[in-house]
Amino acid sequence: MFEEIDPRSPIPLYEQIAARIRVAVAAEEYRAGDALPSVRQLSAALRVNPSTVVQAYRDLERDGFVETRHGAGTFVRALEAEVREGERARQARALVRTLLADAARLGIGAAEVARALAAETGVPTHE
Amino acid sequence: MSEAIEVRGLGYRAGRSFALRDVSLTVPAGSIYGFLGPNGAGKTTTIRLLLGMSRREAGDVRLLGRSIPGELPAALSVVGYVPERPHVYPSLRVDEAMRCHAAFHRRWDDAWATRLQRMFELPDDRRIGRLSKGETGKLLMLLALAQRPELLILDEPTDGLDPMVRRDVLTALLDYVSESGATVFISSHLVHELERMCSWVGVLDHGRMVAELPIDVLKGGIKRIRLAEAPSNGQQLPFEVLSRAQDAFASSETWVVRGWSDPMVQYFDTAGATVREVIDLDLEEVFVELLRSGREVTR
Repeated sequence: MFEEIDPRSPIPLYEQIAARIRVAVAAEEYRAGDALPSVRQLSAALRVNPSTVVQAYRDLERDGFVETRHGAGTFVRALEAEVREGERARQARALVRTLLADAARLGIGAAEVARALAAETGVPTHE
Repeated sequence: MSEAIEVRGLGYRAGRSFALRDVSLTVPAGSIYGFLGPNGAGKTTTIRLLLGMSRREAGDVRLLGRSIPGELPAALSVVGYVPERPHVYPSLRVDEAMRCHAAFHRRWDDAWATRLQRMFELPDDRRIGRLSKGETGKLLMLLALAQRPELLILDEPTDGLDPMVRRDVLTALLDYVSESGATVFISSHLVHELERMCSWVGVLDHGRMVAELPIDVLKGGIKRIRLAEAPSNGQQLPFEVLSRAQDAFASSETWVVRGWSDPMVQYFDTAGATVREVIDLDLEEVFVELLRSGREVTR
C-alpha cells in the first residue's frame, strides 16, 4: 500500500506516509479499530528512518485519524462521515491543483481545463 | 550529551596529493547521518581518524562525549564499525568469527546474533575467505549490530552488494535503530539509498566539507529555476546562485540557486524577469550541484 512513497519527491517522506494513510482511512481501506503497522515494521519495510514514521503517526494522531494506545500500538479511530467527506474533498482539491500546475506549464488556462473536465466526465462545471 | 560525533578542525595529510583540511562534523545523537562524497573525497580517511586508526595532525574528535584517542577504549566498547574492507580473518569459520567478536563485546546479544545469522542464511561452518561478497557484507553488519552499539559507523556498507542483499542489510540496520535509538553515521556514494533513511547529510569533497544540513533543509533550499528575460549578474540577490546556463532549444535560462524560498519569486518580478518553473531537485542532483559549485570556488 505504500508503493508510491517516493524518496526523491520534494514532499517530505513523513507527509507522504501520513497522506497515504489518510487516503486509506477516508476510503475505508482502513476501518475504525484497525491497527497500523508498528513503527519498527513500517520503517524496516520502507527502509526509512524510524523517526519519519513516528512523525507521520504523530501528525495523524494530532488530526484525529488515529490514536496511540501505550504498549499496544496505533489504531484507526472512528471518523464522523463529515470528516471522511472532508478528507476526500481535500484529496480531490490536491489532485486538481496538480492538474492545474501541469496545465499551466503547457500554457493551458484554468477555463480550458474546466471545459475539458466537463467534457470528459459529463459533469458540468460552474464558471 | 546531544552529539554522538563531534569533530572540529580535523587535519590530516597523506603523501603529497591528498589532505583533509579543517573538517568539522556534528552528528546529533539519534540521527541517521549520511556522509556523502565522491570516491577519493576522503570519507574512509575521515572514518579511520574518528576511530583512532590513523593519527590526525590537527583538530579534535569526540565520540559519544569521549575524547579520541585519549578515551578510545571506552568509546570503542559502544561503537559498531563496518569497514570498507573486511577486517575478519579469512581462515575463521562464521561461528568462530561470531564467538571471537562476542568475546570482545560485553553487550553482545547472542540470541539476536543467531536470529540475524538465520535471516542472512550464513552457514556456521563456512570459512570467511570462502564467503561471497554479499555474504561477507551481511556478516560484517551482523557483527556490528549484535554488539548492541550506541553508535554505528558504517563505511560504504552496501557498496558492491546486489539489491537483495542491500535490502536485507539495511532492513536489519533500521530494525535495530527503531528498537535501540542508536545513532548511525553511514558513508556512501549511493545517494538514492541514503535519501530515504537519513535525517542529516554531510558532503565531503577533496578533503573539505562542502555542506552539513538536515536533509529536508538541504533538499528544500536548492532549486532549479527556469527564467525568461533573466537579469544580468552583479546585482544583490536574496539567494546564492550555484550555476546559470542558457537553455538549449529555448530563449530561457536555467539557474540553480541555494537558500531559496517561494516569496523570492518577487525578486524576479521586480527585476523584469518571468519565472517559468521552479523545479525541485532530488538528493543526487543537489549533491552534484554542490560539488560543482564547491569546485568552482576553490579553483
